[in-house]
Amino acid sequence: MFKRLRIGTTSALVLGASVLGLATAAEAGNVRVKVTFYSAATEPYFKKMAEEFNKKNPGTTITIEMVNWDDMRQKLTTDLTGGSPPDISIIGTRWLVDFVADNQVENLDEHMDAAFKDRFIGTFLSPGQIQGKTYGLPIAASARALYYNKEQLTKAGFPDGPKTWDDVIAASKKMKEAGQAGFGLQGKEIETEVYFYYGLWSNGGDVIGKDGKAAFNSPAGVKALTTYKTLVDGGLTQAGPTSHSREDVQNIFKQGRVGMVITAPFLINQIKKEAPNLQYGITSIPSGGTTTTYGVTDSIVMFKDSKVKKEAWAFLDYIFTKDPRIEFTKGEGFLPTTKAEAADPYFTGNKELQTFVDMLPNAKFAPLVAGWDDVSTAVTRAVQSVYLGQAKPEDALKTAEAEANKGLGK
Amino acid sequence: MLRRYPSLVPWLLIAPGFLLAALIITYPFIDIVKVSLHDVSRFGQLRDFNATGNFSRVFADPLFWQALVRTMWWTVLVVGGTMLVSLPTALILNENFIGRGVARTIVMLPWSVSLTMTAVVWRWALNGEFGMFNATLQSLGLIDTPIVWLASADTAFPMQVIIGILVSVPFTTTIFLGGLSSVPGDIYEAAKLDGATSFQQFRTLTLPLMKPFITMATVLNVIYVFNSFPIIWVLTQGGPADGTHILVTYLYHLAFRLGKLGEAAAVSLVMLAILLAFTMLYVRLVSRDEEEA
Repeated sequence: MFKRLRIGTTSALVLGASVLGLATAAEAGNVRVKVTFYSAATEPYFKKMAEEFNKKNPGTTITIEMVNWDDMRQKLTTDLTGGSPPDISIIGTRWLVDFVADNQVENLDEHMDAAFKDRFIGTFLSPGQIQGKTYGLPIAASARALYYNKEQLTKAGFPDGPKTWDDVIAASKKMKEAGQAGFGLQGKEIETEVYFYYGLWSNGGDVIGKDGKAAFNSPAGVKALTTYKTLVDGGLTQAGPTSHSREDVQNIFKQGRVGMVITAPFLINQIKKEAPNLQYGITSIPSGGTTTTYGVTDSIVMFKDSKVKKEAWAFLDYIFTKDPRIEFTKGEGFLPTTKAEAADPYFTGNKELQTFVDMLPNAKFAPLVAGWDDVSTAVTRAVQSVYLGQAKPEDALKTAEAEANKGLGK
Repeated sequence: MLRRYPSLVPWLLIAPGFLLAALIITYPFIDIVKVSLHDVSRFGQLRDFNATGNFSRVFADPLFWQALVRTMWWTVLVVGGTMLVSLPTALILNENFIGRGVARTIVMLPWSVSLTMTAVVWRWALNGEFGMFNATLQSLGLIDTPIVWLASADTAFPMQVIIGILVSVPFTTTIFLGGLSSVPGDIYEAAKLDGATSFQQFRTLTLPLMKPFITMATVLNVIYVFNSFPIIWVLTQGGPADGTHILVTYLYHLAFRLGKLGEAAAVSLVMLAILLAFTMLYVRLVSRDEEEA
């Protein structure tokens, strides 16, 4: 017993010493960068950037830590609560508001000059700004469009894809007669609510009104959700939408098991690699009177408690130069966020990506308000209960509105 | 000094372990009580003291009560099911037969796989389109069309309970096997001579002698299962439409999805209180058994 205890103490001491060792190393130009997992290409890319940067800047060591998207916020919460935040991290831009409210992230305007700012495309820089101050730089940007299976949709009478929600219903009905699933409907996990927002926005509605209150319980919202309910009840979607995450719906689209899916440009790369023979087209999100898309950026931020801000900034500066940017955006299949990238022939000559770029003027971004997650949770629950047939669209949205307003503090 | 106060010896002997345990338990406990009584930012910065505000907000949330009731069902069904499966399994594995070693190993195997991995495998197996589970049922002719198991709480939760039972069986069977090996064989011979049937032997000999082990397995399983997070989180994340949340997934959802660390701390204290009640029951049951013995 005593012997075991002593071994325990020794290893605890050793552990403690090694932790201390790490801590001292951190003082001497070691920059911890937390990176989210986008695809299999993400880690090799950032490792390569770190290596190249380390070579050019002796004395500075960049350490890359990979984290899954689903775990990122939990990891950062734990890190910050425990008092050991990374120096740089990729975050969802909509989280910024909480970080800024807590005074955890650095105002990057102090580090950058006008020329640096001018590298970015304005549409993508502004989501990372709060009250005119830049806190996050757009590391990744995407918009959403509808992918359709050319062969199946041609047979259903829509060779150029559906243009309106009525088209979607008509096409899905035709496809059902042929024994195929038409509209791919996401019903679980991250962005379930966004799939409903596509319909909401395209019918002219909005998630949060100008008064800062929940606004999705509107005629547009009810109409959108009723359309989705029609699709589910008529068996015009894949079976069991509430068991399909975004990735699940994308996967069955790749396999030709569903005719349409609304998602981000990165599906292009996935199809190229995993289903090169799939004949598909890309068109804008079906209209209910309004043309729309969802614009999303992910931000890279620097933490206020960082002891190596100069080195950390130098690394940010480096990865936002032309070549590293092109390599990243190409590898992941995102949209260019800097002007130098956008001017590159790879992007100007890419018809598929251009479909997304063309929609950007109509893009809606998630507003930076506290309580956005409460809204997402409430809406997710509402749409899931409608898909499951447990509630009517009107009632579900009304309940969600009350919950959302509570979360928004209205 | 020790010679003068011999009663001190046991205290001194447990002191290092006790201090270590106290240190490990007390610090987070005090911290979590503090968090539960304050408004807390998403990243754990304490703001204003709000007394019982977090608790009353949790108690006002219908999801909390739903999760509480479901946690009770989850615990009762999984632990009950585990007992019903494990006892016969242990009795069979205690018999002498060819291949017993192999059979014992097979029963123990699921234990060696991490709970999260098991849950991930099941998530794939239960997939509505290409899951092995549907394929098996279809080839056995039990169902005609594939069932999308995880699409609705009505089918997802029972599956989660079954998986919960499956992963609890190895541990419980091990405890029972240990118990059975301590039962002397000669009393069965005596019973046989007196003409007792095997059911009578089971009821009057095996069951009473196994009682302390059954009590122990029940209470330990209650604690494990009550707190078990991976199966439900990996399979459904408490959804769809929050229909499969138990307290621990609800807590995680509050803390890391909604960033309400104060309310999450309050929920964890409620869970602690419930488990404490169970543990006290356990200690009482054990000490009573010891007195009887």
